[in-house]
Amino acid sequence: MGRAAKIFSVTIANSKRVIDCASTSTILQAAIAAGIDYPYACASGNCGTCVSHLESGKVSMLPRGDASLSAEQAAAGMTLACRARPRSDVTICWPGGGEKKK
Amino acid sequence: MSVAEKRSRACEKFLAKVHNITGKEGVTPSALHAIKRKLVGLAKKTALFPRADFEMPAAQGRNHPLLVEDGDGLGLYLTINMPGKEAAPHDHGIWCVNAAISGRERHDFFRRTDEGETPGRATVAKVGEVLVEPGHGMAMGDHDIHGTVVVGREPAIGLALYGYALARFPSVVWYHPEFSSVRATPSRRRALAG
Repeated sequence: MGRAAKIFSVTIANSKRVIDCASTSTILQAAIAAGIDYPYACASGNCGTCVSHLESGKVSMLPRGDASLSAEQAAAGMTLACRARPRSDVTICWPGGGEKKK
Repeated sequence: MSVAEKRSRACEKFLAKVHNITGKEGVTPSALHAIKRKLVGLAKKTALFPRADFEMPAAQGRNHPLLVEDGDGLGLYLTINMPGKEAAPHDHGIWCVNAAISGRERHDFFRRTDEGETPGRATVAKVGEVLVEPGHGMAMGDHDIHGTVVVGREPAIGLALYGYALARFPSVVWYHPEFSSVRATPSRRRALAG
């Protein structure tokens, strides 16, 4: 039997929302489930649309393609919301400002 | 002759065969099937594709251009994807043929089941799957929808031929059964033109 998922708090800075995210979920999955209009396209680590700045906290990454996040972006603290699963409470922000008006 | 030269000649010969096939009958299902058989044959020549000649991914997936034609020409790549590497169901707007050199990648095929009434919303249903492993390949048409995942513990190394070079892809449309959503990445062709 697998270990039970831990629940972490993820702050989505763009929408000023704090959501719960299980350690078995990606930040993108949790954000969409919470009704946040997080930018994404492939949601599988290929396109880089959900590239985001990890302002604080730790994440683990699911497999992704090299082209989706450059080494320079990773070194600058960027991550992919669709691949990142929280390993602590996290604050994250996608580039370009606030959440789109629905 | 070096392995690189032999590889280059083999790729040129393969592309000439592809043009011969499409020149005679266009890009039809039977033409794609014939191209797949040729690509599987090329992938079987494993001595042409030694691992040392191709950098492994820094993350978990990497495409190495083997022969990329100018303009709107074909693009032939050697792809390396590590165990677990996946791609959600997508339509890359252009036909594609794959063949395995080593390792295994599963291709799941889908069809859209909604009428597209609501922007950003879509549903898809799985209609089939193909395991691309040595001796096997897969072919898909311009707007077919497929998702991929590397299965097993070995990297999936293979050849991929696209109707356009990757840098000139039309917009890629991604479907997410989990979110019932559809999203498009911007056209790389338009970006290049701009």
